[in-house]
Amino acid sequence: MKEIDARGLACPAPVLHTKATLQEEKPAAVKVVVDNAASQQNVQRFLESQGFQTTLQREGGDYFVMGRCGEVAGEQPKPIEPAAVEHKKILVLCATDRLGTGDDALGLKLMVNFLRTLKEMGPELWRLVFVNNGVKLTVGGSDVLDDLKAYERSGLKIMVCGTCLTHFNLLENKQVGETTNMLDIVTAMQVADKVISI
Amino acid sequence: MVFPTDENVIVGLDRADDAGVYRISDDLALIQTVDFFTPIVDDPYWFGQIAAANALSDVYAMGGVPKTAMNLVAFPIKEMDITILRRIIQGGVDKLSEAGVVLVGGHSIEDRELKYGLSVTGFVHPQRVLVKKNLREGDRLILTKPLGTGIVNTAVKAGMASAELTARVTNLMAALNRTAAEVMASFDVHACTDVTGFGLLGHLSEMVCGSGLGVRVFAGRVPMIPEALEYASMGLIPAGAYKNRDFREAMVAFAEPVERAHRDVLFDPQTSGGLLISSQGGQATELLEALKQNGVRDAVEIGEVIAGPEEKIWVI
Repeated sequence: MKEIDARGLACPAPVLHTKATLQEEKPAAVKVVVDNAASQQNVQRFLESQGFQTTLQREGGDYFVMGRCGEVAGEQPKPIEPAAVEHKKILVLCATDRLGTGDDALGLKLMVNFLRTLKEMGPELWRLVFVNNGVKLTVGGSDVLDDLKAYERSGLKIMVCGTCLTHFNLLENKQVGETTNMLDIVTAMQVADKVISI
Repeated sequence: MVFPTDENVIVGLDRADDAGVYRISDDLALIQTVDFFTPIVDDPYWFGQIAAANALSDVYAMGGVPKTAMNLVAFPIKEMDITILRRIIQGGVDKLSEAGVVLVGGHSIEDRELKYGLSVTGFVHPQRVLVKKNLREGDRLILTKPLGTGIVNTAVKAGMASAELTARVTNLMAALNRTAAEVMASFDVHACTDVTGFGLLGHLSEMVCGSGLGVRVFAGRVPMIPEALEYASMGLIPAGAYKNRDFREAMVAFAEPVERAHRDVLFDPQTSGGLLISSQGGQATELLEALKQNGVRDAVEIGEVIAGPEEKIWVI
């Protein structure tokens, strides 16, 4: 059974996570854990709309939705999207908020332009990871905040280094992406087909 | 807590209505209301318009005519471009102009999270105040805007709504309840409120509470944004809809054939929703006709007030 941890996320993120997992891995059974009743019911509705049979469970602050596919006789699960194509996975690691060295103002301008142009990679752009000074691009006042939010809305997963945010005292100011740790970053690099480091 | 009052307060805190009403003379009363919130759409100009339409709506729901308004602004000036604020206020001012209301002042503070809204003042004849708690047996219920903005906004957040739908819902939220209120003024209306955060059934529950009467709602007639039903069945429902349901569940009984997605939309929190009007049978039919003739095309008769069972809403 595929387990999805969507705790700490507000609606509609748990549904989007579940949707992404269903699209990527097409599991026959899933177990989704969220941290509130509203998200639990939303995930339940989503799984049922995809042809899953669901059961709910609660343990303290953890709310579970168990889904099993295709047990309804004669009822086929609806395809989520027509003909899901397997894309190459590109991970872009941004360890700075400036592109290149030399002139800082120019570097910032280039970085903004770089992040905006990244979308030309299309569906192969798989993860965007921000570490060290790069995390400053994900906080309030960043010139690319709207662009990053648009990426996130379109389904791109943005990972932001928690240690780095804490170091710069910016943990509260992050406005886009998921706060993450080194293990997640390393795992994502391993899964990716290509890693581009800036 | 005890709030001081005086004999000229027509609608005060004890009544918890859409706005406060204070008698100035025998033929004039003052309506006051305030409303502000965090952005619900990405475009600052449209956010300003929606916030203004939403604030004005409380005056319309009391049967009044809005006259003046003041801005309330909380803005992260160090982090956000000031032109964003200018666009928001422009949106608010344009919507006020459309309503024939003048902006006479305001106040702004620095805040980490952007918020905008308005305090609106209007007038009404003291004998023509429309409160929400005045249902009468045999009344028909009319709703003037379709439901589903909360669910569609959740789908927008999820990146799943088309640009066309986003624009359609933005226009819907920015649409004034002015025409509906003006048309309603020449009819015998018993009670009125505007549908906002508590959702249709939440606001209807407030009307029913203490009335000694019951209400029957015809789920199939309630106007809904068609896509909202689809998104509801996919679980793109704001947490507020579940809160509304949990809070009022005991008062509402659904007939079995009413589908879950319909139930969800009936509890969906609305931003700048339509007016919910209760009027006697024959009057209601004429009112509905007049609303449609004057351009309130979404207006629909959605239910009726019945003798009992007391303080229950039957959704069939």
